[in-house]
Amino acid sequence: MNLAHIHLLLNHFPTIGFGIGLALLLVSFFSRSEDLKRASLVILFLIAVIAIPTYLTGAAALDKICERVSGEIKCPPELSLTLIQEHEDWALLAFSIMEITGFVAWVGLWQMRRTSRLGTWNATAVLLLAIITFGVMSVAANEGGNIRHPEIQSAEDIAAAKAADRVPVARAIGSYVISKTWLWPACETLHFVGLCLLFITVLFVNLRMLGLAKSLSFPAVYQLLPLGMLGFGINLLTGMMFFLASPQQYVNNVEFHRKIILVLLAGINVLYFMLFDKAWGVRAGDNAPISSKLAAAMSLVLWVGILYYGEMLPFLGNSF
Amino acid sequence: MDFLHMIEETAFATWVRESPSIWSFPVILLVHTLGMALVVGVSAGIDICILGMAPAMRLAPLEKFLPVFWAAFWINAITGTMLLVADASMKLTNPDFYVKMSFIVLSLINLSMLRKQVFRDPQIESGKFSSKARFLAWSSLFCWLVVIASGRLLAYVGNSSSYK
Repeated sequence: MNLAHIHLLLNHFPTIGFGIGLALLLVSFFSRSEDLKRASLVILFLIAVIAIPTYLTGAAALDKICERVSGEIKCPPELSLTLIQEHEDWALLAFSIMEITGFVAWVGLWQMRRTSRLGTWNATAVLLLAIITFGVMSVAANEGGNIRHPEIQSAEDIAAAKAADRVPVARAIGSYVISKTWLWPACETLHFVGLCLLFITVLFVNLRMLGLAKSLSFPAVYQLLPLGMLGFGINLLTGMMFFLASPQQYVNNVEFHRKIILVLLAGINVLYFMLFDKAWGVRAGDNAPISSKLAAAMSLVLWVGILYYGEMLPFLGNSF
Repeated sequence: MDFLHMIEETAFATWVRESPSIWSFPVILLVHTLGMALVVGVSAGIDICILGMAPAMRLAPLEKFLPVFWAAFWINAITGTMLLVADASMKLTNPDFYVKMSFIVLSLINLSMLRKQVFRDPQIESGKFSSKARFLAWSSLFCWLVVIASGRLLAYVGNSSSYK
């Protein structure tokens, strides 16, 4: 089993998962069910989290079937690099919109927690974004299928792909990051700023649950969550710049795989505080219930672990 | 200059710089980064609350987080010194290093002014802060931003060292 297997395993989730999330969201509008709305937002958020390893393992799958010879990608004759890069570009676009949709869905969940219903602007934004994401994602999935499935390729597809004399976008972004010497350090700096923003939230929320500054209620400290999501957003964006610029040093780096697994777990951990009423009942002066303390401790361990694997990329792995 | 090279040649500095053990340079840098997250996390978190981003958050209990700040600060002073002696001749001749140190001092002065202005204010529970307190919160955020940026950029600007 290798990362290409993982890509084949995961790559159905974004399309099908977003389809289900979108369908539930539509039903919830007609049935006016807040529970159903919440369930669909959770699905959209989780699928956006799963999309992270789905995109990243795609680069690993490319490395399995094609070779990099001094910067050039050489594929075996039965495969078309143009089709692969077409898929990669659509996937990058779909991934980007999907992360924005996941973020807005999360903001919706956060808002529902605080006011017990979803704001109209948020519901509309999630719906529109989810429809666009689903459309773009379907194209990306279809382009991905084209790579290895001659039975679904139409003659026009192949002719169009061969005739398309365009610069692959994902590659172009990557070379741009490498070509501007200031851009990598700038992204590194922003990555650290994002890390600090994220840790503001991680520290205050989790240390409160573990018993520091008990005179703060949980809903009060939870107001800091959007700040943490902003920090995560900055780091996802700058992290993608590193990945696009130099995919091979992450694809073959075990520390990076572990880091991404912890990111997935942290994404699930975030939902605990969002969905379970126990944590929300913690008022000023209350001792948090044991389950909330466990979730808080888990969150601290996960984020410190993510920082650890990130920091160790050049030392234990092969990144620079 | 010779003095800086002498520091670099000490057994300890050489160990930090050249030991293949993960416990030397990698772990020291890791602890330094984690310390940064705690120092900036606590201080910037207090600033954010003064600026009203989390209106339900009362400010007085946040003083309980300051021991975390100071523990992390001293850990970083120690790990920072370790990283410095390993690369003294490069770091101490790099203007960016002095930018970082100056802004750390400014951040600390800012924090102590903020404590006088906000935490000793009998009106603290009202959640309304003077424009001076808000100014200090903004300047604190700015100072930490400069500290993070100049620290990160030490690996890239000036006499570039091989350590990132």
